[in-house]
Amino acid sequence: MASISFRNVTKIYDGAEKPVVPNLNLEIADKEFIILVGPSGCGKSTTLRMIAGLESISTGELYIGDRLVNQIPPKDRYIAMVFQNYALYPHMSVYKNIAFGLTLRNVPKDEIDRRVHEAAKILDLEHLLERKPKALSGGQRQRVALGRAMVRNPSVFLLDEPLSNLDAKLRTSMRSEIARLHRRLDTTFVYVTHDQTEAMTMGDRIVVMKDGIIQQYDTPKVLYATPCNLFVAGFIGSPQMNFLDVTIAADGGKLFAILGEDKIEIPAFKYDALKPYVGKEVIMGIRPEDFLPFAELTSSNGMSAKVDFCELLGAESNLYVFVGDKKVIVRMPSYMDKPEEGNIKVPIEMERAHFFDKETEQAIVH
Amino acid sequence: MKMSKSRAITLTVIAVLLAAYILFPFVLVVLNSFKTQSAIVSDPISTAGASLQTFLSNVNAVVNNKNFVFWHAFGSSAVVTVISLFLLAVFGGMAAWVICRNKTKWSTAIYMVFISSMIIPFQVVMLPLIATFREVGKFVGLGMNGTLPGLIFAYCGFGGAMTVFILTGFIKGIPYELEEAAAIDGCSPEGTFFRIIFPLLKPTIVTVTILNGMWIWNDYLLPSILLGQSNPNKTLPVAVQAFVGSFVKSWDMILTAALLAMIPMIVIFLVAQKHIMDGMVQGAIK
Repeated sequence: MASISFRNVTKIYDGAEKPVVPNLNLEIADKEFIILVGPSGCGKSTTLRMIAGLESISTGELYIGDRLVNQIPPKDRYIAMVFQNYALYPHMSVYKNIAFGLTLRNVPKDEIDRRVHEAAKILDLEHLLERKPKALSGGQRQRVALGRAMVRNPSVFLLDEPLSNLDAKLRTSMRSEIARLHRRLDTTFVYVTHDQTEAMTMGDRIVVMKDGIIQQYDTPKVLYATPCNLFVAGFIGSPQMNFLDVTIAADGGKLFAILGEDKIEIPAFKYDALKPYVGKEVIMGIRPEDFLPFAELTSSNGMSAKVDFCELLGAESNLYVFVGDKKVIVRMPSYMDKPEEGNIKVPIEMERAHFFDKETEQAIVH
Repeated sequence: MKMSKSRAITLTVIAVLLAAYILFPFVLVVLNSFKTQSAIVSDPISTAGASLQTFLSNVNAVVNNKNFVFWHAFGSSAVVTVISLFLLAVFGGMAAWVICRNKTKWSTAIYMVFISSMIIPFQVVMLPLIATFREVGKFVGLGMNGTLPGLIFAYCGFGGAMTVFILTGFIKGIPYELEEAAAIDGCSPEGTFFRIIFPLLKPTIVTVTILNGMWIWNDYLLPSILLGQSNPNKTLPVAVQAFVGSFVKSWDMILTAALLAMIPMIVIFLVAQKHIMDGMVQGAIK
């Protein structure tokens, strides 16, 4: 078991002009399940590989537990890693794949046997131990990769987009399996993904990265409810948050968001933060589920929109509308009748609206 | 895709003619090793005079010939071939792996040197080679000319280029993550090579070994200039020359000895045929 600590860590590749990861400071607590999430090229995999020792650290210090590991080779870091394409040794059976790390560490044979069978039992691989990786399905290969990491009793468990090669159904079941594994092994997990659903459902805390810089580091609930900037707000949540340019206006002691012809009242608890923006344009963010039922439309909460089409998902529907030239997604329960084609007014739950500074893209108030 | 009948027939005829053309010398060797010297000289193509009895007596004469020393030559050939192939496989694999994984200007330059050495004909370098070997031998204090270790060393050099070329192509297709996984599992670089990379190269190594093996076993020119006729450790192709005199050529002995020399390679080729094809198509389909 170990905590991980990045202290002013920078990674710059030879010949590159700018660093992939500039000055990273990150504390991961012992036994925590941390998700590194961000778009392609944001430096999340590089960060994970620095923990593994597969990438050198240009400057700064990286601690695993109390040990400075900058110069320690991967094999001596007490870590285990699951790769995106599983990286199973094709010429070895499942048993040998799982046992390989233990064999190299001269663990007694009966102890290896015990640990391999224990892992195989947990991962439901017992009947596959004699097979070669090529005779396994994607999900089974993934479980072997997990088993190989498990048997070593690592102090840190690293997973690099382990579910991205699986189909949607299998991905859902493996998600819960990995979360269960974390509870069972009770060790530090660092998980890299670009899929925000995986990030939201699995981690204790999420690190949202962009261009090598941590945008926000918090629990899924906090990230979702109070994104610190426009990037995090857009990245976390599916379908993503709707962004609309509005002007803040003051009238009779109240504040309003002016959206085209509509004058939408802002709740009083947001006044303090928004007062400096009166007369200015800001970005209002509304999650698709933060619209009210049509029956609750009032004169001060409606947004004029033009219906484009409606997408039935099962329990819910996504109604696509245009506000000006911007596409906005409104999530509504499927039992509700979809509105007729043409112009409608959609009521917004303004208590849950987010406001962002247009220049800095930082959150003003949630 | 189905081939039209006329096209199939044409291709079959071409294949048969090609096979006959390629196999003709081999058939001639086999046929004439069943005949006496006079029968060969009178008509080398007809089967007249061929008998199993003659073949057995020819074999007996070859194997027990005092000048030819068949088993000794066979042993020399076997030692040279086996050790050369082993060294080529291990060091060729190592070189290919390092060239492939170290993306530096130097590794590219070294790879280019390997490739360019493949297009230089052996005949161009054979005489300078003798002089160089003499100097190298003096420098390291080992006899390089006229010794089996010298010959093996030369084969490693001449066979290295093709070995590295073929293996590099295959190693490029091995995911790098396997090596990273091995590093995390606790493998040293040497361990990664011998436990992960080398076993994965097996089909390609078999192909390269067969190709190198056929050439090394059958090679005449290099051992004849490096070892020479008078060398007691001469290899089989060189030893066959014992039957070629200035005035008399014992064709019955020459052809029987050639046939005996060919047999091990033919057997190995037939046994390993499947692996050769596997190795050649490796990487074509994932």
